[in-house]
Amino acid sequence: MSLFAAAEPRLWRENGFVDDDPWMIVEEAQGALPEHAVLPLAGLLARISAGEALPQRLGVRLVADDDVSALAPHLGVVSLVALTFRAFNDGRAFSQASLLRERHGYGGDIRAIGDVLIDQVALMLRCGVTSVLVSHPPTIRRLAEGRIGGIDQRYQPSAAPDAAHGSYSWRRRAVA
Amino acid sequence: MYRYDEFDRDFVTGRVDQFRDQVARRLTGELAEDAFKPLRLMNGVYLQLHAYMLRVAIPYGTLSSRQMRRLAYIARVYDKGYGHFTTRQNIQFNWPALIDTPRILEELAQVEMHAIQTSGNCIRNVTADHFAGAAADEVADPRPYAEILRQWSSLHPEFSFLPRKFKIAVTGAERDRAAIQVHDIGLHLKRGQDGSLGFAVHVGGGQGRTPMVAKKIRDFLPEQHLLSYVTAIMRVYNLHGRRDNKYKARIKILVHETGADELARQVEAEWEALRDGELRLPASDIEAIRTYFAPPALPDRAEGWAVLAVQKRDDPAFAAWVNRNVTPHRHPDYACVTISLKPIGGIPGDATDDQMEAVADIAERLAFDEIRVTHEQNLVLPHVALADLKAVYDALVPHDLATANAGLVTDIIACPGLDYCALANARSIPVAQQLSQRFADAARQEEIGELKIKISGCINACGHHHVGHIGILGVEKKGEELYQITLGGSGDETTSIGEIIGPGFGPDTIVDAVETLVDAYLSLRLSRDETFLAAVRRLGLAPFRAALYESAKEAA
Repeated sequence: MSLFAAAEPRLWRENGFVDDDPWMIVEEAQGALPEHAVLPLAGLLARISAGEALPQRLGVRLVADDDVSALAPHLGVVSLVALTFRAFNDGRAFSQASLLRERHGYGGDIRAIGDVLIDQVALMLRCGVTSVLVSHPPTIRRLAEGRIGGIDQRYQPSAAPDAAHGSYSWRRRAVA
Repeated sequence: MYRYDEFDRDFVTGRVDQFRDQVARRLTGELAEDAFKPLRLMNGVYLQLHAYMLRVAIPYGTLSSRQMRRLAYIARVYDKGYGHFTTRQNIQFNWPALIDTPRILEELAQVEMHAIQTSGNCIRNVTADHFAGAAADEVADPRPYAEILRQWSSLHPEFSFLPRKFKIAVTGAERDRAAIQVHDIGLHLKRGQDGSLGFAVHVGGGQGRTPMVAKKIRDFLPEQHLLSYVTAIMRVYNLHGRRDNKYKARIKILVHETGADELARQVEAEWEALRDGELRLPASDIEAIRTYFAPPALPDRAEGWAVLAVQKRDDPAFAAWVNRNVTPHRHPDYACVTISLKPIGGIPGDATDDQMEAVADIAERLAFDEIRVTHEQNLVLPHVALADLKAVYDALVPHDLATANAGLVTDIIACPGLDYCALANARSIPVAQQLSQRFADAARQEEIGELKIKISGCINACGHHHVGHIGILGVEKKGEELYQITLGGSGDETTSIGEIIGPGFGPDTIVDAVETLVDAYLSLRLSRDETFLAAVRRLGLAPFRAALYESAKEAA
């Protein structure tokens, strides 16, 4: 276990911390949803198949077991997809993020929630994550200092568009 | 061979800086061990029985003299004067201090080496035929593809936290010297009907506690689809591989539980969506990498034929070494030399700093500056003129590097076992040493012929016992070491998993048991042309079992 107690979760984007983030993670509940609710996938699918009215701004939350392709036909109704990084060594959400961006052309916010630690943030961004919810104090501190970690050089293309780095290292060399 | 450019250098340097920071945070306690562990593993740092161990990547087993000298230097300065070449064509240092590891990585980075992804649940060092680019029987050099895979898989953002480790091997010849069918992905480079290059794709092979031979899921994948297809496999595995039990987390279990046909269908479906995207490799991409592997200019040295004949006649020990450790090269005036790291009674795969220096000198002087590490824990000089073989041999002899036993009964693979490893249940090294001494006689070894003994000190099978013609697995039973014997395994193009012959043997009787099996083979074989493996395949285990256990009964 970490020696550092969890802090109040903070939301971080590539341009810094965001203090007025409106999104609320909600458990499945009966009745009308508030704006900016983030529902579990099963709840979203149930409401859609029941033909319920949905808020203008709606989010969905996937766990690592969820199949992204079940969400794919409904991406038009969500403005945020939260992916659960269940544990440091469980890498499924990296594939989920990549599939949302590359395969399904999702352009909204992809948020990393769960066990978010600094050493994975750079990889998350490359897979298309655009915001991270952090409660690990050293991670919050590092992000605040702008020390995201990771390595500037990239050998391979990835889901996040990356004009600065291009695709393969050897193609850059061939051009240079 | 592949040369780092500015990009690779910056990458490796960036990685060293990143790791130094991670070690510092671990030492202050900011980074908990459970979060540090996957990070240190991805940089090759293991915690072993007595100390940390550093595993250094040798991509597809190819080294220059300069790199070998640096390994010797690290062995001398940061370790106890030796290193251990592994079955993944890597080298392990058994005694570094954690605090020194960033400095060692810096030393390595200066010679274009690193320890990235030599452990952890990521795509490991890609291995290839150790005679690649030199063998007389290959369709094309597999190393450019291994290098493309190395680059593509390095710190891959999507595939750095897989269910379990992932191993890829590539071979370019029908004769499989890379054991591709016991890899997570085995790629067999071959020519299609129209003469173009592509791969047969095997998935889900592996050893460990559940050994499995890979299933071929595609007979011919055109080369431009290499990365899109491998990505498709990785993605299916990353999403669906089991994470509830580390012993069931390798892709072989997914293949087994899903069924090869269904898994192939999922992979093909994923690939359909990827194949014409950015992962497609145009010919120019492959060519850009292939230029790095341009073979050295090998001038004709036809005088070697006559010179060699005379030298062999004059020196029987040299002749024996040539017959055993020298194999054909695609250029008739050259040969590939296997440098045995299996001296009689030695520790398989170990090399001292002086031996590494000696090999580096010889390679530089006589072998175009190129050295290979084999998955059988030997070294190879891939390009040696026949006319220079004697000079190479004479330079190897004083360093105890000229043992003429490649492929013979004393060319044993063994894992580090209980002498080093935190996972082991039994010792492997002493068994290997005793077997080596028992069969020390060179004439007897030649009489026995090709026989691969492989020893693992636990069920994780790092010593590849499942594919040993004779496999030995050390287990622990009631506090004692016990050795199980399997027969009939093979890691080549006819891959098979060995079968357990019967009750195991203690440390005092295992060597006798192996000798009994070897003697049984000698009496059962049709002729000298029938190898041990062929005899086991023809006869089954019964006559060997009878020899092993009935003689024991009589003795008892």
